[in-house]
Amino acid sequence: MNKELEHRFVTELENNQNIVHKVCSLYTNDRDSHNDLFQEITIQLWKAYPKFRGDAKFSTWMYRVALNTAITLYRKSKKRVQTQDYDSVIFKIKTDEYDDTQEKQLKLMYNAIKQLGDIDKALVFLYLEDKDYAEISETLGISEVNARVKMNRVKNKLRTILNP
Amino acid sequence: MMDELELLKQDWQKKEGHLPKLSYDQIYKMIWKKSSSMVKWIFYISIIEFVFWAAINIIFSDPESMQELKAMHIYNAMMVLNFVNYAIILYFIFKFYMNYRKISVTDSSRKLMKTILDVKRTVTQYVWFNLIIFTITMIISIYGVLIYGPEGKEITESAIQQGNETTFWFMVIVVSLVFTAVLLVLIWFFYKLLYGILLKRLKENYNELRKLEV
Repeated sequence: MNKELEHRFVTELENNQNIVHKVCSLYTNDRDSHNDLFQEITIQLWKAYPKFRGDAKFSTWMYRVALNTAITLYRKSKKRVQTQDYDSVIFKIKTDEYDDTQEKQLKLMYNAIKQLGDIDKALVFLYLEDKDYAEISETLGISEVNARVKMNRVKNKLRTILNP
Repeated sequence: MMDELELLKQDWQKKEGHLPKLSYDQIYKMIWKKSSSMVKWIFYISIIEFVFWAAINIIFSDPESMQELKAMHIYNAMMVLNFVNYAIILYFIFKFYMNYRKISVTDSSRKLMKTILDVKRTVTQYVWFNLIIFTITMIISIYGVLIYGPEGKEITESAIQQGNETTFWFMVIVVSLVFTAVLLVLIWFFYKLLYGILLKRLKENYNELRKLEV
């Protein structure tokens, strides 16, 4: 019985691990911390898994646990203090499909996101993941109107950084 | 204009293919590792606090000190205090346990943060409650020692003989007050530091979410 649960959980996580990796890459700046946070999120997911009823999609449920762990439960150690050296997985990849200006702009944008606060980062993340306001508001625990207001503020903030 | 943010979204989704990929076995190993979450730390610290204050209580209620209390005529007062003390400690244990159980990583972020802060608030209340009990105990003891204790009698008598009784009592009160105040400040500072470090980021995030609801 337990073995079956383990197997089901690990398989589902293996298939959906991208979500966790993306959260990690936003909230950490180097590979060690990335792995560290991934580990912690995995533990939290596993601890909560017996209560997962399957009435939501596994991935939806994962967004919530992953973000909560990154924002609320995870203790950043000293080495995770923000640095300018964006070594994380996502930001190292070359975007060769774009011309130089666009690539530069995207880089600037990612850098800007990295400097946002924990909550703003979560908003941007859910936006990038194409989540609707209903899900965003439910994940963070604020009303839809407030989620909208806050999202607009964050977007404007990012735009200002890009077009000073 | 084609929004930069839309562009970013496209780019973000395109990068999925470049993310690291962990194998089944790697993930399987991870689920057995120990969590290092903040909640765990708060839980450990709270347990240590419970044990610490309970130990202080037990240490000071051995039979020998009970006899001394009787001799100083403060036994009854101390017993009442003890009774109240244990009743309230039981209440705290219950509340602490309930709060702790309520923490659920699948709640919304705001609710999760609130539950964690509630746990912390219970612990803080518990600590303040102990400090108050401690202070009352101190006051009763000082009173008992000075009025009925053998050394206390000597001290008060010599003070009276020298003719400065008022000054003497004034001094006793001032010294007790200062001593208690210093102790309270030290402990308060210690907790500020302990939980301040642990909860600073959480508090900031929680306030940011709460501000939105106004």
